[in-house]
Amino acid sequence: MIEIEGLTRRFGEVTAVDGLTLTIGEGEVFGLLGPNGAGKTTTVRMLACLISRTAGRARIGGYSIGDATAARKIRSLIGLMPEEAGLYPDLSAARTLDFFGRLYRMPRAARTERTERLLTLLGLWQRRDAPVKTYSKGMRQRLALARALIHDPPVLFLDEPTANLDPEGAKTVRDFLLELRRDKRTILLNTHHLEEASRVCDRVGVLANRLIAVGSPEELRRSLWGSATVVRLAEVTGPVADAARKAGSGDVAVAGNVLTVPVGDPERDNPELVRAIVDAGGQVQFVTESVPTLEEVYLRLLGGRQ
Amino acid sequence: MNWRNVATIATKDLGILVTRRSVRLSLILLPLGVAIGLPQVARFAGNGGIPAALLPRFLTAFLFFFAVTATILPVAIASYSLVGEKIERSLEPLLATPAADGEILLGKGLAAFVPPIAAIWIGGVVFMALSDQETRARLGHPYFPNGTAILILAVIVPLMAILSVEYSVLVSARASDVRAAQQAATLVVLPSMALYVLAEVGAITLNMATLGVVAGVLAVIDAALAIASRATFRREDILTRWA
Repeated sequence: MIEIEGLTRRFGEVTAVDGLTLTIGEGEVFGLLGPNGAGKTTTVRMLACLISRTAGRARIGGYSIGDATAARKIRSLIGLMPEEAGLYPDLSAARTLDFFGRLYRMPRAARTERTERLLTLLGLWQRRDAPVKTYSKGMRQRLALARALIHDPPVLFLDEPTANLDPEGAKTVRDFLLELRRDKRTILLNTHHLEEASRVCDRVGVLANRLIAVGSPEELRRSLWGSATVVRLAEVTGPVADAARKAGSGDVAVAGNVLTVPVGDPERDNPELVRAIVDAGGQVQFVTESVPTLEEVYLRLLGGRQ
Repeated sequence: MNWRNVATIATKDLGILVTRRSVRLSLILLPLGVAIGLPQVARFAGNGGIPAALLPRFLTAFLFFFAVTATILPVAIASYSLVGEKIERSLEPLLATPAADGEILLGKGLAAFVPPIAAIWIGGVVFMALSDQETRARLGHPYFPNGTAILILAVIVPLMAILSVEYSVLVSARASDVRAAQQAATLVVLPSMALYVLAEVGAITLNMATLGVVAGVLAVIDAALAIASRATFRREDILTRWA
């Protein structure tokens, strides 16, 4: 659905996006992670035909960005939720969606039906006629999401959809994103929130002007950390630690009565590891997989780059 | 050009603008004040009123004040329309729709153009009716409407309003708040005000020939500013330079 090749944007001497190459499949939810100034918003703006590219090319739904005649078609295919909600304070939610529905040339009946559906799903239907200036931040963010979806676009660009929201507001938006994922809509999600990316995205890319890693959250974790098994015992003795070292495939970390043992293939190596510990006199209480968070992966990727 | 998009944007902007008390008041009070106040000046200036021989020249100059008003009123609205969207960051979602830059600009321009023109035309009719009462009493016949009045209201006033809207677009690109935009844009009043003062002191005569020249010059300036404002109102510039 989205094919990007060598996409580059410079602002004077500053290169905001440098040679981005990426393919996002139909129905895929792709998270773009990166610090402020990493080029995430610039990427979305180029793909939405809002700003031009310096080099490279990209196609959305078969239409090339940068082609003036295709720009209208691309903008019809996409729904954009910018980082700032950017709503009209004096308009109500219903009038806001009606206005944008008209610009997407939706018939009146479709606008009405879609407005009711989206505002109901996002918990705004009861306040549909109140001016936006009376809404809370979370309500505004939800309305901005409804606006991006009014024309039922197959491609959705979400730029920090939960930024600056309280935990409850963020959860509402995140739950809705999971709903959207079930719709098989192609979504490009810019986010700082790594837990959100981990829960919602099929794949993530770490952008720091250049794309420095891409894969599913699980693939990224494994590529950087490998696998490790955490074993909690009644007590860690010298012979038990030695047995774990022999059965594992690297340095064993001991913290209190917990051993963290690197293993090549957990399914193959764990039974042997547990047997070795028990044979050495250890009393095993729990065995779990060591899973680094996406945040740890992200920080290591960016740290490695710096 | 998709005129439905233009109408949608203009209607939305008008709907928002009429909710603003300051805009409503300026649209009503300024034209009405001119329409009612200036005939009273003609009637009571120096207690006996403007001398009958000078009355036609003064009334034409007074009517030209509506052209000055046509440069003032759109500034207030266009500044709200453009700088307001800039402050609320609502231009980006609008620019992400299939509406073309020109359609957005024209929609916003129409929203800033139509209400002032309607208010000025209503004010102009009231002014002419009140002035005719005076000329009937003093000259024995109504003075308005005449060719000069039609040229001022039907040609000069719209051209002045277009000038004001286009100039406001250029100013709004650089302004960061509505008041600053309005203050900067009020400079556009100066040429029309200068013409008005020159007409009042008798330095120029606002006859068909003079007004024809003014209309021609305005049309050329409007065309040039249309090109400049269209060049300013580009998606890329709005998102990367306007902020």
